[in-house]
Amino acid sequence: MFEAQEINAEHKDLIHDVAYDFYGQRMATCSSDQYVKVWDQNSDGKWTLTSSWKAHSGSVWKVTWAHPEFGQVLATCSFDRTAAVWEEIVGETPGPGERGTRHWVRRTNLVDSRTSVTDVKFGPRTQGLQLATCSAEGIIRIYEAPDVLNLSQWTLQFEIQCKLPCSCLSWNPSLSKMHPLMLAVGSDDPNPANGVKVFIYVYSESCRKWTKMDAITNITDPVYDLSFSPNLGRSFHVLAIATKDVKIVNLPHVYDNPNSQNVITKLDAQIVAQFDDHESTVWRVCWNVTGTILASSGDDGCVRMFKMNYINSWKPIAVLRGDGSQVSNEGQRSSVSSTVGPQIQSASQTARYIKLGAISQPRDVPWH
Amino acid sequence: MSSKLEIQWTPITNKFITWGSEICLYEVHQDRDNVLQNIKLSSTTSANLLATNTNHHYVKCLDVYPKSDADLLLAVGLSNGRISLSTFGPTEYDALGLTGKELVPRHARQCNAVCWNTIETSWVAAGLDKYRADNSVLIWDIMKSSQNNESNSGRMAVNTMAPGVELAKPIAEFGVSETAHSMAWFSSNSKVIAVGMNLKNIKFVDIRDPNKITNSTLTKAVFGVCMDPNDDRHLASFFENNIYVWDTRNFEKPILTLHQNKPVIKIAWCPTKYNLLGSLQKESSVINLYDIQHTVIGNEEVEPSVLERDVVPGSPHNIMSFSWHNSDENRFLTIALSGTITDYTVFDRITLNWAPTSNVVWTYGRKTMKYINDCPLQDISTKIRQRALSGYGLKAEIYKNGEVVDNEMLANVWNWLFLSGKLVEDGVLTGTQCKHPGVQAVLKLDPSNNKSDHYSLLWSDLGNKNCQGVVRIFKHEDRDKALHLCSWHFERDSNQLTAFLEQLEKEGAHTRAAAIAVFSLKIRLAIEILSRAPETLAFGLGLNVVAMALAGFTDDKNSVWKQFCSTAKQKLSDPYLKVIFSFLTAENYNFESVLNESGVTVDDRVAFACMFLPDNRLHDYLKKLSDKLIEEGNLDGLLLTGTNQDGIKLLQRYLDATGDIQSTALIAVRAFPVEQFSEVIKVWISSYRNLLDTWQLWNERAHFDIMLSTYCPADKPPQQVYVSCNYCGKTISAYMYGLTRGRGPFTRIGGTANKLKMSSCPGCRKPLPRCAICLMHMGTTTGNFSNEVDSNKIIEFSNWFTWCQTCRHGGHVSHMTHWFDEHSECPVTACTCKCFSVDSLSNAIIK
Repeated sequence: MFEAQEINAEHKDLIHDVAYDFYGQRMATCSSDQYVKVWDQNSDGKWTLTSSWKAHSGSVWKVTWAHPEFGQVLATCSFDRTAAVWEEIVGETPGPGERGTRHWVRRTNLVDSRTSVTDVKFGPRTQGLQLATCSAEGIIRIYEAPDVLNLSQWTLQFEIQCKLPCSCLSWNPSLSKMHPLMLAVGSDDPNPANGVKVFIYVYSESCRKWTKMDAITNITDPVYDLSFSPNLGRSFHVLAIATKDVKIVNLPHVYDNPNSQNVITKLDAQIVAQFDDHESTVWRVCWNVTGTILASSGDDGCVRMFKMNYINSWKPIAVLRGDGSQVSNEGQRSSVSSTVGPQIQSASQTARYIKLGAISQPRDVPWH
Repeated sequence: MSSKLEIQWTPITNKFITWGSEICLYEVHQDRDNVLQNIKLSSTTSANLLATNTNHHYVKCLDVYPKSDADLLLAVGLSNGRISLSTFGPTEYDALGLTGKELVPRHARQCNAVCWNTIETSWVAAGLDKYRADNSVLIWDIMKSSQNNESNSGRMAVNTMAPGVELAKPIAEFGVSETAHSMAWFSSNSKVIAVGMNLKNIKFVDIRDPNKITNSTLTKAVFGVCMDPNDDRHLASFFENNIYVWDTRNFEKPILTLHQNKPVIKIAWCPTKYNLLGSLQKESSVINLYDIQHTVIGNEEVEPSVLERDVVPGSPHNIMSFSWHNSDENRFLTIALSGTITDYTVFDRITLNWAPTSNVVWTYGRKTMKYINDCPLQDISTKIRQRALSGYGLKAEIYKNGEVVDNEMLANVWNWLFLSGKLVEDGVLTGTQCKHPGVQAVLKLDPSNNKSDHYSLLWSDLGNKNCQGVVRIFKHEDRDKALHLCSWHFERDSNQLTAFLEQLEKEGAHTRAAAIAVFSLKIRLAIEILSRAPETLAFGLGLNVVAMALAGFTDDKNSVWKQFCSTAKQKLSDPYLKVIFSFLTAENYNFESVLNESGVTVDDRVAFACMFLPDNRLHDYLKKLSDKLIEEGNLDGLLLTGTNQDGIKLLQRYLDATGDIQSTALIAVRAFPVEQFSEVIKVWISSYRNLLDTWQLWNERAHFDIMLSTYCPADKPPQQVYVSCNYCGKTISAYMYGLTRGRGPFTRIGGTANKLKMSSCPGCRKPLPRCAICLMHMGTTTGNFSNEVDSNKIIEFSNWFTWCQTCRHGGHVSHMTHWFDEHSECPVTACTCKCFSVDSLSNAIIK
């Protein structure tokens, strides 16, 4: 069923992150070997390495693409306490009819953090060029490039103290003007006594500040990754969390009311599913383009996929070993799905009626 | 720890030993079904016991000769301080006189550590407990010592333990009156050994000059001293709850302290991976792994980063020891108190991502990535893409959109939208502004003054001789409209009914046809339909039986027929057969079991309700049903809600349940009135457009936009580019706009030829910029007219003026495309702008 292809990554150490661009035709990887590599897919679907450079002087934790309307732009963050923004440029044309070689230049180095920068993500493109970073010292920083044509100038807009070491962050990708900016941040602090490990921040346009929401209160295990699902018009936001298991949380919409003096600080989050199928630590979670399938990876060396069958009803649908082979007895393993919505009626029970009805009166219904 | 249990891989890749009270040798192999008597190590490997060595009873420590290729030679440290060389059975070492040889210290005390040198492989070091005036670290050369023995026999010291035994002389010894707890040879320098001593320091000793200590540090962490096999700079040791990592070049302080919850009993560097340290705590089932990354910022080496991982190798019991495999990546063995051995491979952390297309990539190990193109999972995302490519939602005839999808519910919606639209157009449904009114909107029943008429018909008048009862039918013009919406618009005309039923029969829906016949009170017709059903059908014969049963219809409450049918109908699987008998056996006009039969389509149930329910109950029923369908996100509910606010609620619920942004956006655009385009619908539209853009389905997106603009013609996209004169700053584009529209100050020039002649600013008459290639002013033609009539359209476009957004140089389109076919720099001399490469998409195209 699944046919996995292989790429020789040519990294010398563990690859920490792999990111697709907006169209899914370019890929960037980063590794403990301090290198970042960019891969392009040719028309046959094969990936070739097009750029590789030493980006940092420590492990590179994360790499992420900006929306293509800002150019070919990457951001990376590293243990060397910095985050960097890179842009691809084309070199001098060697001669007529030939293209210059493409290479990546560092446009800026964000050095505000005093500890390892653990995650970096571009904000929703409707907000211009915004960049959020989080660090092991527990500070979330939000930068902005006021001039999108000048990627070397970034101003630090906000510093949010989060008190616990941060491991991951995710922007809410909603493009709707009705939804204020929202950030989720996770902490991998191992001590359950230090409280909640997932923080939700909402930006209030009227107050011009980020407010911490009282949302997810019962996740005290270390969180290694989290990811908002693409929203696509849904009436709620969905957040996937990688901790000792895979958790899927629904968050209601927040509306920024400029007239109201009371800033909302509570969100009624609901854990709709949790899967301990990995039976061990979960490292990564990511969504497909419609937010209907969640993929996760864990210490069991497997990639697992979970699909939404109905509102709040999630089911494991596939298990792949790291080498790409499929685990056969998938679905046998139990999963804890908390609330299961009413099953939608199967197609056979919905009607065939209208079409027939229309045909039964051929004179009344002119068919073109 | 009374009983000691250890495990260690040997240099032979598929063999390992365990030792406690006896030394056992095992061979590991992949699972084979035919071999019994295996010890299961993991899901894919098992081991069998090859040999046992029971010669030694007080084994304190053990190391395997590193050059063991075929046969194993063990150095066994005993509690009396001797190092005994042992083998399993006869080996090549027998001839060398090594087997059974003992390396004996002068004074008996416990041997704490034994360690082969991996470079000078004949050297073995022994670390002993303290003995007054004797050295605690002895280094022997197993090849040389016997010869030295003879030549230096005169210097032989008195052996307190076994005076008769010849004493070999160590090639080096040090540590007078000290205790050696643990030790490790440097992996790249064969002459230097690190020894943890006296519970207070770790010393590096060069054995060429053993009395001089090359380096040392004060620490209690003298246990488990081990050297990173890949890098001599890093040394690890532990004491109680702490693991320390040292830099041997800067040995004052540990570079890292790793605190553990319980006392540590073993640590080991992974030989196959840089900087990976494994550790084991007392009475634990977990192996802790530390990936220690060293970072240099500038010239300063900062505190290393540590990625910690806990691995549970599956054995729930106390793990006593573990051992890394020498060559297989990340593989180790553990042994538990119970003796259970587990073979475990640590998976490297997998990172993964999902492309906007349905491609998935993840990392496998350090060096490879795996990816799947077009993940073969049935998901709405792949369906949306397929449907978009087939023009779904864009078909002019609305019902044709239903033919594109393989989903009955969606097909029904599109058909219903067509039907309801048609009914409104034909004037059947009057009095609503809505394009697609729902049943609830059509039924404006007011129980007080606009009651439905009800007719009572005697069953016996309808040709059922054995009936006395009556059946009540409600009629009202609003009810008629609702029936139209349910496509039951054949009430008054029996020919239409017959035609409809024949159509149903043709499609094989015999039971549905029968049910509709019964609801139309034509039981005889229903019997005929059922008996006509071909026997090839799954329940062909069964339908004849049902027809027979139906023929016996009587509404006598006490009749056998009624009693039998009331119970037997539960056994029917076909929902339509069930409702036939539910209807005929209903008492006091209680049709709950018909109305709540979910197997019957929504419109049949609604139509049924419109015929047989009195006003107030009909109202309640429709309310309940629509609430339920909205809650479920079942699009059949549009029949009830129509395209009003409830309809939007229903669509939202459908979207929440399925993620089908495409159908949601398309139905919203095509069915809902433009005035009602709330923020929600706009979000749906923009989400769908964004999705198409991500997939590079720009054509499909454009078609969608065109369709959208036909629904809201007022929404003209704003002008995107304004061109103003360099000199006077007045806009030029406004004039150009006027030109093409035949209005504005240049109308009088008129004619297509003149259109091309605007080469100066209409405000100040200064010339417009020049094309960088032909140096003609903007507004002049390109000059390479083609004679071919067909290429006229292209010529029009090639006359356009274009420019780079970055350097603002430009020219005629045809010239620019020609130039950028071969160049990526700006055509203007001395301008270094790489106009072409600024555009990422052009890069992709070139690629």
